[in-house]
Amino acid sequence: MKDLKHLIFFENLLLEANNELVQKAQADGCICVAYACENTPEPLLNLPGCFSARLRAPRTGSLDISTYYMTSFLCEYSRALLERAIEGGYNFADAVITPDGCSMMNRCIENMELLKTLGKGKDKFFFEYMEIPMKADDNGLNLYVVQCRNHILKPLSEKYGIDVSDEAIRKAVADHNRVCELIRAIGDFRKEENPRITGYEFNVITLATYVAPKYLLLDKLEETLEELKTREPDEKNGFRARVLVVGSEVDDTDFVKLIEDAGAYVCADRFCYGSLPGRNPIVLNDEEDPLTQICRAYMNRGECPRYMNTDKMDHRRIYVDELAKEYKADGIIYQQMKFCDPWAYEKMMGSNILREKYGYPVLAVDRPYSIGVSGQMTTRVQAFVESIEIKKIQRGDANG
Amino acid sequence: MAKEIGADRLGDFYKEGSLVRKRREWRGLADTMYDYSRWLKIMMTLGKFVMKPRNVKAMFRYRWMANYLAVPMMVDRHTQGLRGEYLRICHEEQDLVIDDVAKLLDSLFRGDRRIGNDKKFSDKVVLVDENEMTAVMMGFPTLKCLSRETPSTYVSVLLNQYAACHYIDVAQEFGLAGDVCPMPEAEAGVSIDDDAPILGACAIQCNTTCDGSLLGNGVISQRLEKEDGIPVFQLAAPLRHREDDVQEYAAQEIRNAIAFIEKHTGVKWDWKAYFECAKRVNYATECRQEWLEMNRTPYPQVFGSNLALYTETNYMAICGRVASFEKADKKITKLARQAYAKKKMAAKEYRHRAIVWGVQSHYYMDFLVWLLNCWGIVPLTDMLSMVSTKKLVTEDTPENREQAIYDMAWLTENMIMRNRTHGGYKVLLDELWEFVEMFNADIVILWEHMSCKALDGMHGLFEEKAREKGIPLVWVSHDLFDPRIISRQGVRDQINSFMRTVFNEEPIDPSLEVLPDEKSW
Repeated sequence: MKDLKHLIFFENLLLEANNELVQKAQADGCICVAYACENTPEPLLNLPGCFSARLRAPRTGSLDISTYYMTSFLCEYSRALLERAIEGGYNFADAVITPDGCSMMNRCIENMELLKTLGKGKDKFFFEYMEIPMKADDNGLNLYVVQCRNHILKPLSEKYGIDVSDEAIRKAVADHNRVCELIRAIGDFRKEENPRITGYEFNVITLATYVAPKYLLLDKLEETLEELKTREPDEKNGFRARVLVVGSEVDDTDFVKLIEDAGAYVCADRFCYGSLPGRNPIVLNDEEDPLTQICRAYMNRGECPRYMNTDKMDHRRIYVDELAKEYKADGIIYQQMKFCDPWAYEKMMGSNILREKYGYPVLAVDRPYSIGVSGQMTTRVQAFVESIEIKKIQRGDANG
Repeated sequence: MAKEIGADRLGDFYKEGSLVRKRREWRGLADTMYDYSRWLKIMMTLGKFVMKPRNVKAMFRYRWMANYLAVPMMVDRHTQGLRGEYLRICHEEQDLVIDDVAKLLDSLFRGDRRIGNDKKFSDKVVLVDENEMTAVMMGFPTLKCLSRETPSTYVSVLLNQYAACHYIDVAQEFGLAGDVCPMPEAEAGVSIDDDAPILGACAIQCNTTCDGSLLGNGVISQRLEKEDGIPVFQLAAPLRHREDDVQEYAAQEIRNAIAFIEKHTGVKWDWKAYFECAKRVNYATECRQEWLEMNRTPYPQVFGSNLALYTETNYMAICGRVASFEKADKKITKLARQAYAKKKMAAKEYRHRAIVWGVQSHYYMDFLVWLLNCWGIVPLTDMLSMVSTKKLVTEDTPENREQAIYDMAWLTENMIMRNRTHGGYKVLLDELWEFVEMFNADIVILWEHMSCKALDGMHGLFEEKAREKGIPLVWVSHDLFDPRIISRQGVRDQINSFMRTVFNEEPIDPSLEVLPDEKSW
């Protein structure tokens, strides 16, 4: 296929946390609100005058210092973030807002605060921690609303004078939705039998929308969508199987690339930092206040394993099944970042249930934060692809 | 053989390759007779238990039941070297806990569909987690609040250091990563292995101490709801429990949990019973505070595993619901006052005053006794014993009924361990140093439960603070339920090297430095 015109631009945005667009938005006078957990309602961090940047640590090398502070038993994502913070890599942020999504994330941000790694020379800088619900119900919704009001809207308004009115929130949701719709439309091409976009390309574009100010990305996203409408896929699809990737935080595009290089097309991305459900538009009505509606949307769609009620647990597996059908996946790869407790359990349960109850071929793997070129992982994916092919042959799907 | 404290070489009682020690300790006539009579009492408790055919049947059905053969040995491990009031305090607590666990087992098997199958009884049972504050059951005196995980994993590991290994392996064979906390891992393993009694009208699970615990519950509820048909309510206690803006949420969770229990058992909440329990909780708090006050002086009385194990049971699992614990509180306080007045000591020499922080090694619960006997380190208090001291309302008025909901929510948020592992760094990191000062401690023993992410995440800052304060801090690594990772001797060696290299000291009882207890219960 012909290269996407803006792919290098999107890739370049992923090379540094303090990327070109973050710098441009700050030069425009916007404040940068950094966050790390998907359960932080993004539109509230993108009110007029501010923008969100989800923390990553691209090109992570040694984790020596953060390993000293947090031991080698904490997930590499949390350690990589702390290491980068200690190196001064997040000094651009004007605030950090984080929910107690998991213990490791919480400790990571607390270490950043206690080690005074951020906010140098920024007298309005603040850290905010918030409680978020663990169940999707009315009580959880009330909590979510109170917490967003007290730990996002209030400090943004008081410290930086950000307009937190309903009108401002509605505008932020509209802007957010525009990005989501574009990502959704781009992602829909993955459903094609011979797709005109690779999983890697889509992963790069989606990831960019988490780490760069959205309003500065819109034109490139729109152009990319237009370009895709007429893009000709290769005559012969080089992929041997279609897989849905499910699991914990993945902000390393090399992981999807590795899977695709091993012969499996990543047709859907149900992981933290992915587009499903992270880039679902938030539909607002005019009757209810927008804050409550945003919180409800986040709570209801949340697929994070920290949600502990049975309906939510069941839904995590049902949703994977629905996506596998919608995106025509031949198999499912459950991935978990090493040392991630929530996904360690969800990977075990999900992979067993999807295999036993729903009948999918499932590969369950754990992986480091930065995978680079891992021979072991490549071998496992190749073997998985072969096993899918063998199953197809046994079912008589192949060769007519 | 000696009557005096510290006259015996306690290490000589151990025998290479043996499950038990060589012989019982001679503590002088009065103490030996007392100890022996309590040993007989334990045997009688066990005897009464096995007289019921259903309990014998359970011995053959449930793999973890074999661990209960080691009950007398567990008590003996905790009474090593003790005399007088200390011995009596230890027995008062341990024997009561044993009695309570025996009743728990008996009840579980009575209702168990596979064993006793007493349906009427089972319909009055509400299952709870092992590590769960049972405050929400304080107003249900006619219901049985039973934890299956307490006997299958928690107590089993206290009895036999290797008790959980099989279930840990089961969970890992099923696909669970090996780096999660082995406690919920073993509990999930019991469920995967289908090795838990099946009973109950409903179950209340709670996001107790950590992410692992929360997620482990998901494995258990899968079997409970999907296969056993037992409805489960997941009680979500807020993590940032010191914040005002989470308390309404916490209170509503309590209301919802009560409504759930009422719905599934047909039993109504009883405020009179609740306030009775609340009085007992307050009394237990008063006693614990008095013991801790004594521990701030040069003559601590209720400390080490005497404090830790009992607090864990009384504060969380009992939570005012069992009157006999109030009697025990009274007796223990009386004994402590008596010893304090005489300026008695539990060992012949106190060299260091320690705050023990972090999550203790479960397979080596008598480590605190060893610290005292081997190195003269007095474990004044530990993280799990530093729980809520808030007084509950006890008078039945409309306002107090509303406040009581918040009190129960507060207790649930502040259950043991989670009140420190959740709630931000202040409760874990900053308050440690406040306690060091308050108790006039000169050393911090910091358990590094290696797969406890909440504790590990503060590793570096603990060290930095210790350096800043000039307090020696020793890390003691372990893997909570799994002695295959770090053995008991591995645990001891960390202290041995620290004491020799940093303090340049020799042990008070050198026979305890290296013990052949690798194979023992």
